[in-house]
Amino acid sequence: MSTGLVVRHVQEHDLPTVQAWLRPGMARDLPSTGAEAPEQWLLVAHEGGAALACLRLRRAIGLDLPRHWYHVGCVVHAAAELGLVHRMHTLQLGNDLTGASELADVAWDRQALDLPGSARVLSHLLGAALQRLAGDRPGPTARLIVELPGLRDAQGRSPFWEGLGRHFYDADPVAAALRFGSAWCSHVAALLPRQPVYTSFLCDAAQAAVAQVDPAARVLMDLLWQAGLRYAHHVCIDDGGPVFECATDLVVAPAA
Amino acid sequence: MNAPATEANQAGRYLLRPAQAGDLPGLLRLASQRAIGISSLPLQRDALRERIESSALAFASDDAPSGDETYLFVLEDRAAAGELIGTAGIAAAAGFHDRFYAYRNEFVVQASTALGARNRIHTLHLCHDLTGVTLLTGFHIQVDHAHTLAPQLLSRGRLMFIAAHPERFSERIAAENPGIADDSGRCPFWDAVGRRFFGMDTAAAEALAGGRTHKNWIAELLPQSPIYVPLLPEEAQWSLGQLHPVGELPFGILMDEGFDGDNYVNVFDGGPTADSRVALLKTVAGRRRVRASLRRVESAVSTGWQLVARPGREDFRATVLPRGTGRSVVLGEDEALALGVAAGEWLDVAPLEAAAAADGPA
Repeated sequence: MSTGLVVRHVQEHDLPTVQAWLRPGMARDLPSTGAEAPEQWLLVAHEGGAALACLRLRRAIGLDLPRHWYHVGCVVHAAAELGLVHRMHTLQLGNDLTGASELADVAWDRQALDLPGSARVLSHLLGAALQRLAGDRPGPTARLIVELPGLRDAQGRSPFWEGLGRHFYDADPVAAALRFGSAWCSHVAALLPRQPVYTSFLCDAAQAAVAQVDPAARVLMDLLWQAGLRYAHHVCIDDGGPVFECATDLVVAPAA
Repeated sequence: MNAPATEANQAGRYLLRPAQAGDLPGLLRLASQRAIGISSLPLQRDALRERIESSALAFASDDAPSGDETYLFVLEDRAAAGELIGTAGIAAAAGFHDRFYAYRNEFVVQASTALGARNRIHTLHLCHDLTGVTLLTGFHIQVDHAHTLAPQLLSRGRLMFIAAHPERFSERIAAENPGIADDSGRCPFWDAVGRRFFGMDTAAAEALAGGRTHKNWIAELLPQSPIYVPLLPEEAQWSLGQLHPVGELPFGILMDEGFDGDNYVNVFDGGPTADSRVALLKTVAGRRRVRASLRRVESAVSTGWQLVARPGREDFRATVLPRGTGRSVVLGEDEALALGVAAGEWLDVAPLEAAAAADGPA
């Protein structure tokens, strides 16, 4: 089946195009111009034509700079005498997914691609990335994760951050991301609560944003679902977006 | 109703003693009156009678103390034919049957060098630290007498009793103080914390819990992990550890005694729970045992006030008298009669340096 699409590494001349797709600050992690483009940045493009989507394949994450996620737990408070049973959620900061492989910075040209087009291009890109992962020698606990973007308003503000992170780091998170790239999350985690936080203490908007996906990323979420990745009670610390995960050997690569 | 209590006529005017069965009408009247302080008096006759009876048992028991004793004291105005004008209590061991819940204030400092940020975060830890600690309970005084020596005697007189019977009490002592709430009972701290776990107001929750020991049912539903105060609404943050105005008088006395009001807050209303080691309290540390002697003529010489207590159990009595100079305490006949002592018997005395406070706004 010919798709007319090719997958290749990001090259120097792609950088201006790719930068425009990425979330603020994440372009800092792109290979700097003039440097050899490292293997992990993959790009899908029309054969002999324009770049359409990219992702960054990362292996053994969090071993040099710690990565953090909230684990969304459940606590049941019961008082039999009062006939009360309350189910509540907690957020526990941790490094649970350290060592996993990650498909990060999945981004695409939203202007050029309609919904079916996005699905086709992303499926192609994911397929190529998963095939590369399948070539790795899998460890017994090897996992693959993808952080999905959480809810944000038109100005890029995340209600989850406003309800939780802001109380512990009151500077502008976008400015920090622009300065440090994706590493800003590792830096800010040092300021976040280490003990479980009951979501009941967050404002309603922040509670409602836990593990919710940016509607514009639904197409990506659906593809990950088909590939066998699932939400497994981890969310991103900056916007509360869900982390989709799967044991690497259970991944079902889409037909490229 | 009463003559204003000036300094001159306060000597021996007030008498603190254990509550007795006959005090029921007087206590009922007190419970229904506007009063200053922390009331824990039940308004129902039966509940109040029960409170008096269990207190009488506690005072009477000469066995080894079990720890569940609750002592109830009443304050008489001898210038008004012994009318009851105040009451206060002691629980020998907080949370005796179960646990005593409090939030402990803690602070964590977190920093990110890369971000150049550093913050000091106030957290509340649900704890049972104060379980088994002696608890000062309730403090209730008629408004007319708020600015006399009466509240001093009512609060500190209990410490004289504790000091005289250390085997009945813990070495540590604590006192809950009312937190911020408006006239309708709305409490910002409860709304921010408890309500999220119950979905009902404090009064409903307490009514549901139905009484002192069963408050634990409520506390058991509270979050077990520390509460990060910055996540609470501003009004709740502001009210945390703040005292309701009705608690200012008794709280001020405790602070003067040397209680520390910064360690714990009440799990329901966020009011400060003060604590201390008994031996460090001013009245306890300044207490000494002297013999009583009788004088025949009034002497007007006064160098301040002192608490004078007859250190019994059921016959415990305490009053405030001008401070003497010698190694004995000199009593008028009337005072000796009120305290129930004869010349040569032992009394406990402790300096009372709160006269200035007691002379307060007329």
